[in-house]
Amino acid sequence: MALYEGIALIQEKQAVVLDLGTDYTKFGFTGEAAPRCIIRSEFWCTSERRYKRVHDYHTAEELYDNLVHMLHLLYFRHVLVNPKERKVVVVESLLTPTLFRETLAKVLFTHYEVSGVMWADSPRLCAITLGTPIALIVSIGAREAEVCAVVHASVVLHAIQSQPIAARAIHDELSRLLDEDNNTELHLPDHIIEDIKVKACFVGPRERALQWLEDKGPTPAKSVQYPLSGRAPITVSGRSRELAAEPLFTRDNELASLPDIVLQCIIQCPIDARRALAENILVTGGTASMLGLKARLAHELRYLVTQPPYSDRLYVREFKFHKSACHDNVCAWTGGALAAAADGGARALPRDVFTRSRRLRDWPCLLDNAPPHPRPRPANL
Amino acid sequence: MAYLTQPDYVKYVCSCGQLKPITSLYFCRHCLKIRCGFCICHEVDSHYCANCLENMPSSEARLKKNRCSSCFDCPSCFHTLSTRATLAQPRQPVADAAGGDTKVENKQPKKMYYLSCFNCRWTSRDVGIPDQPVASGGWPERTNPFTTRFNQLLDYYKAIAQQEKQEKLERERKKFAIRGKYLTLTDKTGLTGAMARNIAGLPSSESGSSATIANFTPSQASSEVEELPEDIFTKDVNLKLSTSMAQRLASPAWQPISVSRLHPLAKLLSVKRSQRCRACDHNLTKPEYNPGSIKFKIELLAYYHVPEVKIISFESAKPGAKSALLLKLTNPTGHEMRMQLLRPEDLPPDDKEEPKSLDKSLEKSLNLEKDTSLYQWMQRRPVLSGPCTVNAPSTELTLAQRDDAAEYDDDAHHDAGGIILWRKSNKLALRLEVETSESATPGTEANATLALQYSYRNTVPPAANAQPHRDHTLYTVVTLQLGLVAG
Repeated sequence: MALYEGIALIQEKQAVVLDLGTDYTKFGFTGEAAPRCIIRSEFWCTSERRYKRVHDYHTAEELYDNLVHMLHLLYFRHVLVNPKERKVVVVESLLTPTLFRETLAKVLFTHYEVSGVMWADSPRLCAITLGTPIALIVSIGAREAEVCAVVHASVVLHAIQSQPIAARAIHDELSRLLDEDNNTELHLPDHIIEDIKVKACFVGPRERALQWLEDKGPTPAKSVQYPLSGRAPITVSGRSRELAAEPLFTRDNELASLPDIVLQCIIQCPIDARRALAENILVTGGTASMLGLKARLAHELRYLVTQPPYSDRLYVREFKFHKSACHDNVCAWTGGALAAAADGGARALPRDVFTRSRRLRDWPCLLDNAPPHPRPRPANL
Repeated sequence: MAYLTQPDYVKYVCSCGQLKPITSLYFCRHCLKIRCGFCICHEVDSHYCANCLENMPSSEARLKKNRCSSCFDCPSCFHTLSTRATLAQPRQPVADAAGGDTKVENKQPKKMYYLSCFNCRWTSRDVGIPDQPVASGGWPERTNPFTTRFNQLLDYYKAIAQQEKQEKLERERKKFAIRGKYLTLTDKTGLTGAMARNIAGLPSSESGSSATIANFTPSQASSEVEELPEDIFTKDVNLKLSTSMAQRLASPAWQPISVSRLHPLAKLLSVKRSQRCRACDHNLTKPEYNPGSIKFKIELLAYYHVPEVKIISFESAKPGAKSALLLKLTNPTGHEMRMQLLRPEDLPPDDKEEPKSLDKSLEKSLNLEKDTSLYQWMQRRPVLSGPCTVNAPSTELTLAQRDDAAEYDDDAHHDAGGIILWRKSNKLALRLEVETSESATPGTEANATLALQYSYRNTVPPAANAQPHRDHTLYTVVTLQLGLVAG
């Protein structure tokens, strides 16, 4: 056994890819097509005697503790490797809070003594799974829907769109509709709402959504009785099944619905990339696998682009969609596994560099995004 | 059992500042400090299957993706699956059966095996997995449907990374290549290297990577997206036929949507961990290799080294009043222990700068990797303020060493007067006074802090050149939960 370990020491240890989502955490090795585990981002907190979510924190110290416990769970219960002297690829959103990034860096570098961390943003990693030079990434996760344009391996930063229309919005709407169906306040826990959504809900086409707004709606789909342990079963009507995801498509004066932010992202991109972006859309994230969501988004885009304010500003009429080489919910993770396996983690931030400088590069920081100083003129000229 | 089920009334302050019960603390005999699970370094020691208690070498575990080859979990309820045997008559061709009865008799009924869950009654037959002729192993394995595309992408990006690396090298070389005075052969003939290769019929120099890059097809977008199934508005929903989120995510590569696609999950291995002190790199615990054994080769638990404080009983604290508190102190070590109770304010400041020998500090300065200043992020400032203070007596207490035989002695020595209530082998009970501050609001938690000074005899054989320094005076701080402040 010792001999094999020796060989492993000579080779670079296989790095791990970490995608700490709001609801689900994806964790596995680089160069593998699927993560080793997808688990809820929560851990058993012994002092509070309850399951605690990683993203529930008030202070930096609490977040540090949460991350230590979560990573311990991932490393020693699921992936079963020594974190020490092994590289990590962190898949993050471009809009991750600075506090979260920096605390995660401290936990990885000091607590787990990893040898290097590669910070990779999810839109570019999603684009990597396609192999196309230009892609429009629509990622619908737990909390937010983010639309990012990736043009030749760089994200068009000023065109990033983000709105809180994702799984949480659907859950809230679904629990409201269920209350209406059953004429009581049900107060269902979140995992039951999620289960109902996953098993019964779908996104109806655009025409039916318009019909629902009228007084007499279309013939609803079949309703279903959902059994609850220790309670009477509840009714999930066809209307609830169909309309649960409607908050993603409801338009108001803010123009903040999902198809709107996709179009706005395209408008804010350079004019010569717009047509290519519209023809290379990738809808990803856990919520994207909801039945009928992609079809509805395509229909809405094709309709909205002919309407003001887009009709006279955006002259693309064709929208094409990609299918990625993985399940929707692990797209960014797979990109991370590809990117790090290809270059062997050469882009990772090594531990000794972090120890010396104690800071991370970040795109909003002027130290990293400003052009280098012009060389001062020699005094004798 | 009280340690497992009851709340922790007495907590110790770890050297990193965390408050933990004594059962979850470690004691490093080399640093003479209390450590906890938070501030030590965990390491994977050995892999084993928790179901069949079979050890697996780490290289094999890596190959098998940390899964046991013979144990399976139920994909529906995650309980362990059991192998069931049935007798199956080998199927005969019809003509053969009609032809001669003797042949049928010759064929023995064969034992066939399938997997079944005793908890939810799921069986491998439900999803059409054929029965197996052998009891363990041999179950059909599924391949990830995305593997081929993933490998194409991986090859493509590897080729790109390779090309980038080469270009970088080329640039470096060009920077330093000094053109000689003399004409080279290619200059004279007007041949470039690439042309020469072409004429000679050799493949161009970077063919390997560029071919992969040229042959790669990026993902093709289509204007068609998967529409809703036609019958979704008319068909009844059967909740039992679609999987829950947990069932889908249990197999990340497949994520089956329908129950009929569930597949037995190979059981995930477990690991034995060894734990190491970050400051001195000595092992604090090291388990035995045998998976069936729950013993340790090294276990430096605080429970065996640090005096244990237990609350016998207490009067409820009233604001501005004094109340009684009965404590039990236990000496777990094999040596006599002298102890004194202190107030936490009276603790001597942590003298970090011990006189060190020259070569030790040299060694430290050479060892740049071990930058201890990084560990400041791990430090916590414990909350030690409480409305109550324990009036610490100034007398020194002596506790006898632990004696297993004395456990059976049940006559305790009652000391008349003084603060010692009784004494029994390595334990003693104290009667203390607790003062509650006037400003304490009734209903809040009455917490008190107490510091202990105790003598500790180090049994680690000293290093050859170090002078034997065996008796130490150590300090520890405990917090006591004394219920709520009475109104």
